[in-house]
Amino acid sequence: MHPNRTLSPFVLKTISVITGLVGWQIISDVLIRDTSLIVSPLVVAQTSYEMLFVTGEIYPHLFASSWIFFYGFVLAIVIGAALGFLMALSPVVRDYVNPWMATLYTTPRIAFAPMLLLWFGIGGGSKVAIVFLGCVFPILINCFYGMRVVNREFVELARSFRLGSWALFFKILLPASIPFILAGIRLAVGRGLTGVAIAEWFGAQEGLGYLIFFAGQTLNIPTLFVGVAAFAVLGVLGFEAIKKIETLATPWRKGLEVGG
Amino acid sequence: MAGPVLELRNLNKEIPRAGTDPFVIFKNINLSVRDGEFVSIVGPSGCGKTTLLRVINGLLPNSGGDIYIDGKKASEVEHELLMGFVFQGASLLPWRTSLKNILLGLEADNHSNKESESTARKFLELVGLAGFENHYPHELSGGMQQRVNLARALAINPRILLMDEPFAALDAQTRNFMQLELLRIWAQTKKTVIFVTHMISEAILLSDRVIVFSHRPGTIRSEFQVPLPRPRSMEVRSDPRFVELENIVWKQIEEEVNATGGFAKL
Repeated sequence: MHPNRTLSPFVLKTISVITGLVGWQIISDVLIRDTSLIVSPLVVAQTSYEMLFVTGEIYPHLFASSWIFFYGFVLAIVIGAALGFLMALSPVVRDYVNPWMATLYTTPRIAFAPMLLLWFGIGGGSKVAIVFLGCVFPILINCFYGMRVVNREFVELARSFRLGSWALFFKILLPASIPFILAGIRLAVGRGLTGVAIAEWFGAQEGLGYLIFFAGQTLNIPTLFVGVAAFAVLGVLGFEAIKKIETLATPWRKGLEVGG
Repeated sequence: MAGPVLELRNLNKEIPRAGTDPFVIFKNINLSVRDGEFVSIVGPSGCGKTTLLRVINGLLPNSGGDIYIDGKKASEVEHELLMGFVFQGASLLPWRTSLKNILLGLEADNHSNKESESTARKFLELVGLAGFENHYPHELSGGMQQRVNLARALAINPRILLMDEPFAALDAQTRNFMQLELLRIWAQTKKTVIFVTHMISEAILLSDRVIVFSHRPGTIRSEFQVPLPRPRSMEVRSDPRFVELENIVWKQIEEEVNATGGFAKL
């Protein structure tokens, strides 16, 4: 047995987190000691506590960001999945969408931000659009790909049972692609949060992205760090939530996973 | 019923190729299978026997000739569920339990759920897997997976059961057990079976009749009635008639392989 494996994954992860935090504490308290550059995790924790439970000033930002994320994310799932499936099922749709997808996917999203701001105004619309643009491609690509690589025998099986097109889609193609679809959604969480940050940098009055931007401008280093930490926590929570959904939605994959 | 269950008349399958002659997979297949008969098709690799099964099942179109089922043209009755197909890989849906896998074929029909479920349970029991209703495919051994596969094909009460090398992926011992199991299940269900295999002894052990295919383009080179009484067990393999038939069929396949340039090309 490899020596690493004598510790459970949970213990290893905990050690890793603690080591990182202690290292950060030492760097900020001993090595740099300049609170205009870096604050220690203890200060971040204390500031977070105040913003959460004393002044409560983080909530409007948290809610604003969450709503923007939610709308953009859900919209991306609905449209990305529908388009991805259509592309997988119809070569015509695929050939039509492909050049646009390749272009939009590789263009930096931040380049679209001023344009979207112009079109949708500085309200929620443009921000949701930026989040949507970030989330939609990993979902679309995974839905498309997942449905393309469905085992040919499953499709033959459905045809030999004389299943109709709808049954083929809902009983074979869709369930077979679920692991790919969820993986795409999982990737979209991180990209969606990046979208939130970008969107709120441009002409927002609230939101975590605005909070970070404003704290940076006013050299409020503890708040700056809290904003970043909030994004990190949201990202981890979102990622873990999707992972949880994956386990619940695909109980048959238990025991098929490699490496736990 | 007096007439044959399945009749193939001058059946051809070719794949068109741009700028040259079509690629002929099999041609001039004439075959008549009676109700409850177990027919095996053996032949060299690439002779088109698996393609023939797919054409019979309507998964692939034929290029010429006709398929009749109970005297009716297959193309006209195709929408009715007439054939069960047992694939080489178990092709069980990994997100469905064994019971739900068997139910798949019944969902296409308009059976009530309760009725379908009791049918599915009955066939799971028939293949010896009572108690494994809620197991997912990855929790079953290769042999068990093929049992579910067989139960799934039988549950739709097919007129004909088409089996495409169903035991090829199993280890030798499991394969022997599954052959005996198939004999038992066949005796109980009295289905008409067309069974494609590479293994001559498997074909003889199971079948009433063995069809030998030529090398590509596949044609029927010869056919043999298996002169062995039923029920059969593994001992039948040492019966002189079994051994003799196995040798004759082997010689023919060897000739077919040599005609294509020999074993080195396999």
